[in-house]
Amino acid sequence: MNGVEQRTITIDPVTRIEGHAKITLQLNEQGQVDDAHLHVTQFRGFEKFSEGRPFSEMPALMARICGICPVSHLMASAKACDALLAVRIPPTADKLRRIFGLAQVVQSHALSFFHLSAPDLLLGMDADPKKSNLFGVLEVNRELARDGIRLRQFGQQVIERLGGKRIHPAWVVPGGVSEPLTELNRDAILAGIPELVVIADRTLQWFKGIMENFRLEIASFGNFPTLFLGIVKRDGGLTFYDGGIRIVNAAGDVVASGLDPATYGEFLGEKVEPWSYLKSPYYMPTGYPGGIYRVGPLARMNVADRCGTPKADQELAEFHELQRTAVLSSFHYHHARLIEILYCLERMEQLLNDPEILSKHVRAVAQANAFEGVGCCEAPRGTLIHHYKIDESGLIRWVNLIIATGHNSLAMNRAILQVAKHFVRSEHLTPGMLNRVEAVIRAYDPCLSCSTHAVGEMPLRIQLIDASGNLKDEVCRPL
Amino acid sequence: MARVLILGYGNPLRCDDGVGWHAAVQLFRTNARPEVEVLPCRQLTPELAELVSHAETVLFLDGSHESQAGEFRCEEVRALEGNPAFTHHLSPGSLLAMARDLYGVFPRAWLLTVGGQSFEVGEKMSPEVEGALSTLKARVRELIAEVIGDYAAAG
Repeated sequence: MNGVEQRTITIDPVTRIEGHAKITLQLNEQGQVDDAHLHVTQFRGFEKFSEGRPFSEMPALMARICGICPVSHLMASAKACDALLAVRIPPTADKLRRIFGLAQVVQSHALSFFHLSAPDLLLGMDADPKKSNLFGVLEVNRELARDGIRLRQFGQQVIERLGGKRIHPAWVVPGGVSEPLTELNRDAILAGIPELVVIADRTLQWFKGIMENFRLEIASFGNFPTLFLGIVKRDGGLTFYDGGIRIVNAAGDVVASGLDPATYGEFLGEKVEPWSYLKSPYYMPTGYPGGIYRVGPLARMNVADRCGTPKADQELAEFHELQRTAVLSSFHYHHARLIEILYCLERMEQLLNDPEILSKHVRAVAQANAFEGVGCCEAPRGTLIHHYKIDESGLIRWVNLIIATGHNSLAMNRAILQVAKHFVRSEHLTPGMLNRVEAVIRAYDPCLSCSTHAVGEMPLRIQLIDASGNLKDEVCRPL
Repeated sequence: MARVLILGYGNPLRCDDGVGWHAAVQLFRTNARPEVEVLPCRQLTPELAELVSHAETVLFLDGSHESQAGEFRCEEVRALEGNPAFTHHLSPGSLLAMARDLYGVFPRAWLLTVGGQSFEVGEKMSPEVEGALSTLKARVRELIAEVIGDYAAAG
């Protein structure tokens, strides 16, 4: 320690995120934050217990990783299996999968924005923790609470109409989807979209109106240069389903584009840190930790040239005006999330109006034709990669999963450090300090259940520990 | 819209935690009455408030940490007062509070639980919990019958 006294604040468990985490803040003798770590303390090990299973079971099995974004895992897994079959799936199946994924993004983003982050945005970062929840939102802005419920409900209903189940649908299968879309379901989904577009638009306008109240947070919530990574279409358009990986730097310049996700191992390294079960991927050409990058809504808005739908394109153009470079503050994840909800609804409408969408040809059937397959898509929280190797009997021999929240691991740690340096000023945590540290994590909407494949509920806890290891302060937010 | 809503929730990959979910799945398979909607789910989430708001009676089926293994309990639930906590899931009382505050409705509600023994990773329920399933379902049918009259679902 070189005679410099250090103390540590631990936030454990972190609330209003999916999963279980603890935050440790290291203080020096002046009471200033020196370092910060987000510890993800759960482990589930899907990669290991998949070994020996027939590859055809993988989509249904992988969907169990998460109750919030099962569709994304289903999708990435099915795409990895498509690669094992070495088939091109029918065009209608491709479109139906896209709709399925868009619905997932709507419901997941609605949960993140309206249910988990809206209390901070509506009631303020210094609000009474007892009021800072969905019920607090409901008291102050009933329409916002109701809108969130409606959006989430719509996303769930689309998933149910397509997949037959709300949780863990197994409709996406290797080679396509198991059932075509009926006219009844197409019309029902289409009928609901206009109302939802109004809601998404209204929420975006509301959010843009209150952004000015958060200048301090915008400046300090993960506002630093990093790379941004996401998949884009060949024309640089936003996509959640298929495309090449594009990486842009903090200046907004494209560093790499059209990278085949199947070759991720050539440019993404996966570092393991002793303080977390969460892997820390990095961009290999710039090394570790210099290869820090962000994924998810903010990254997608930074890597995409356009959305490809009218309203979302307008919003994206306005978003790009926020900063001449890439948009750097992680606070803008919220803004990006709302633009994506709008995009998803508009894009869903386009796809559902496609004349081919009711085609009965929705699945290509084949045996395994390759021993290795990679599937990649954009999950609500960012780029999701499933990589499988099988033996001659079609049994899984090796699995690697890179989950969106994992990609953001380094960035979340740095964001916590930045917020803590800015707001934590004593040995005792005030609700405002605690909430800001939590809020910056919530901006990333981490799904720790996914990223470590853990089970159970995950609350948040903070501890303050001095250089000698003595506990100075502890705060726990019960569920 | 259904007059009776049955929400059976829990994690079927956590042994006895899945008892509510399993009960709902079994009831769903045998239910033929349009006045009764059965929904197995992993956890109670805010969007369920809208479904709750349309029902006259809501039956929550869940596993319990507090009771003895296999012990069946049935109690009336009321909407929580004040400002209940919310993370990513809700309790029956807070879901009812949400339905009340958002939609101005007050359905009658019952919480039916079976005490669990094992909440570890696994798909098999303990014999005691498995054995209590029929008691739970029988009480569900009685409560349904109180609302819609004779309820002759099998299972």
